[in-house]
Amino acid sequence: MKNTATFITCFMFFAALLPCPVFSSGQMENEQSDKTIVRIADNMPGLITPGVWNGQVFSLNSSVYDYLVSLDPETGELNPSLATSWRTDGGDRWEISLRKGVRFHDGTSFTADDVIFTLERTQDPSVGHSKKEDFSTVTKIEKIDEYTVAIYLDTVLPTFMYQMTDFNMAMLSSGYDYDKLGETAPMGTGPFKVESLISKESALLVKNEDYWEEGKPYIDELHIYFNSDVEVSLAMLLNDKVDIVPFITPVMVDRLKEEEELKVVIPYMDQRFISMAADRAPFEDNRVRLALKYAMDPQILARATTLTLHEGIEYSETPIMSALPQYSEIPYRKRDVEKAKQLLSEAGYPDGLTIELTYASDHVYNQNIAQTIKELAKDAGIEIILKGYPRDIYFAQYWLNVPLSLTTWGVRVDPSMLLRLAFVSDAPWNESKLAEPYLDELIDSISREVHNDKRQQLYDELQNYFYENGPLLNIQVPYLVAMKENIEGYEQPVTMLPVYKNVTVDQVSP
Amino acid sequence: MNNFIQIIIRKVGSLLATLLVMSFIIFMLVEIMPGDVAQMILGQSATEESVAALRESRGLNDPVLVRYGRWVVNVIQGDLGESIYMQGVTINSILWRRVGHSLILAFAAFILFVPLSIFFGVLAGVKEKTVTDSIISFFGLATMALPEFVSGVFLISIFAVQMKVFPIVSVIPIGESLFENLDIVILPALSITFVMFGYISRMQRSSMIIVMNSDYIRAATLKGMPRRYVIFRHALKNALLPTITIIGMNMGWLFGGLIVVETLFGFPGMGSLLMTAIKTRDVPLIEACVLLITVIYSVSTMITDLLYSYLNPRVRFAGGQR
Repeated sequence: MKNTATFITCFMFFAALLPCPVFSSGQMENEQSDKTIVRIADNMPGLITPGVWNGQVFSLNSSVYDYLVSLDPETGELNPSLATSWRTDGGDRWEISLRKGVRFHDGTSFTADDVIFTLERTQDPSVGHSKKEDFSTVTKIEKIDEYTVAIYLDTVLPTFMYQMTDFNMAMLSSGYDYDKLGETAPMGTGPFKVESLISKESALLVKNEDYWEEGKPYIDELHIYFNSDVEVSLAMLLNDKVDIVPFITPVMVDRLKEEEELKVVIPYMDQRFISMAADRAPFEDNRVRLALKYAMDPQILARATTLTLHEGIEYSETPIMSALPQYSEIPYRKRDVEKAKQLLSEAGYPDGLTIELTYASDHVYNQNIAQTIKELAKDAGIEIILKGYPRDIYFAQYWLNVPLSLTTWGVRVDPSMLLRLAFVSDAPWNESKLAEPYLDELIDSISREVHNDKRQQLYDELQNYFYENGPLLNIQVPYLVAMKENIEGYEQPVTMLPVYKNVTVDQVSP
Repeated sequence: MNNFIQIIIRKVGSLLATLLVMSFIIFMLVEIMPGDVAQMILGQSATEESVAALRESRGLNDPVLVRYGRWVVNVIQGDLGESIYMQGVTINSILWRRVGHSLILAFAAFILFVPLSIFFGVLAGVKEKTVTDSIISFFGLATMALPEFVSGVFLISIFAVQMKVFPIVSVIPIGESLFENLDIVILPALSITFVMFGYISRMQRSSMIIVMNSDYIRAATLKGMPRRYVIFRHALKNALLPTITIIGMNMGWLFGGLIVVETLFGFPGMGSLLMTAIKTRDVPLIEACVLLITVIYSVSTMITDLLYSYLNPRVRFAGGQR
């Protein structure tokens, strides 16, 4: 009896002691620290070495690495970064001057050798670089001096420098073994250095005191937590455990509306392409493609994603994003179910047709968009069977292989990059299976054209073609980031790379 | 004693055979999981070349039996391999840190639910068919019926959102250890206690009722022994045997199966690590986690059996006669 009573007393004592502040001294230490710390709850990283980076954990990579050029989030113009200037003679030879005095985190200097190493690495078969195709046009890289390189292309490419903004084109050190160390000890010239990296858990980044940009970064430390569940990340934000959470959903935005200390920003828009494979029935017939387009209602599609048309969501029938200067303002096609039915009938489907829509169901917005398309198409006699899969299964087994697909597409600053990737006959990601010599020639002309006015005319022509004949619906949805109200200077252009070197924390605000 | 050693030898042999068979099943199950590992790692921007290069560098192109053999040999030597994502990072360095966290959570839950469940189970058994019994039995049934993700949300709503006494998520701040943040353990531990309380208290109640109605307890009472003495000295010892079995059977789950609780609270333990590994198709990490959970289950079951054999002479001698 005595022993039992003693045990129960000890148990009650321990249970009462657990929430005691003595055991939670960590938070108090943080509050007393003079350091300015920004805490981010980001995605779980996949591979992070530039070249094979899968685009997760932007906060880590964009802080550790630098690029030759950066994109102005407001104007979309290229700004100097590790390259101070660049010029071309006709678009097939590019001469790039590099910034002097830049040092990698290991203390070595950034020179032309590092640019050559980074570019040559794109063609190394053992790396499996994701930009191999784009940089296969490079025929020669010449080192003019320690801080100047000349790049020769096998084609005229007036927008070549835009390719340097791709998130996999971070400048790497020629003297560092990225094959062995890239995943565990990432090293670049960026504004923050990796202090510690706990696999599947967190990363601690500290200010790079030798950073080339005077006075930056403004904050001392970045604390990045890796979560595979954005709900956990949001709970951390609501519980004051982190300051910034990317990749939130519109439903979460509604939940945050009453939180006065939090705000939601939309740094850029993502695209969802609904692609109709033009090489097979039923979409080989343009009348069927048009029938599906006439069955759609942009307003209803927008509402399905809990957003309003032109207020966070855009819709078009061309691959050019509405926010880009190359976009041509084309009026929305008015929903006309009768016309859709008539077109189907003329195409040989008087009783309608049944088709599968395949998509990655774990991409935000996709499920809602797919469901809405199904409901809208039904009125016109197009019965859509939804086939949603986890993204890896979708991309490994179905993408590029199905008659109707819904796929997430990031924005390319230069739309011709996207056109070459997805809409020419031999494009690697030609999901709509277009094989139109006219279109191939048009895209080639756009890529080669050096005069802006002429290039814009070609873009207009392309968009008109897509409106009349294209196998595409393009729904543009916002990429949402939630953060504390006192976080200032957060920028994230369409390259998807957040710029933490400009971030400040307003200490007065809560 | 010789009989008992024979039992131990037999159990250990059976454990090793189970682990070998399980290792093969785990490997094959992970192997047939849908999706392509290389594609998953490289994401949407993967090219054929990059997928092929990654498969080659990670040894994914070797025949399945070759990979299984290599894995088993390495595991026997204590090498669980490398995460498929973090080249150069051994799974040992990822896994054991998380296992340590899970052990602390399991311990916290253990010291909460074991005394609570036994105490209230005994109380309900002794006060059979009274209001106290009804209240305890109802509460036990209610907590047993609630899955841990429901009770977890309930606890979060009350203690974290409304009362703000515990954190909503169980995250360890960067640069700190779990020991500096023990408050993050409370809600997950309470959630586990909710689940376990019903099972154990009801089991304890039933066995207490049986024992209290047995002849030797009646004799002790008739001899004039104090009631408390009879309960705690004579009845409880025997009434605990089935409860110990149930607790032992659940130790495997407690140390390795807290996937739902850890994921719900974002607790950095082995369960949430396994969930992450599954989501990201980190094959070597999935295999290591599942194998470890199998080991924990098997060993805890074996220890329970041995303990039961040791405590119960009828089992021990029956085992020896065979």
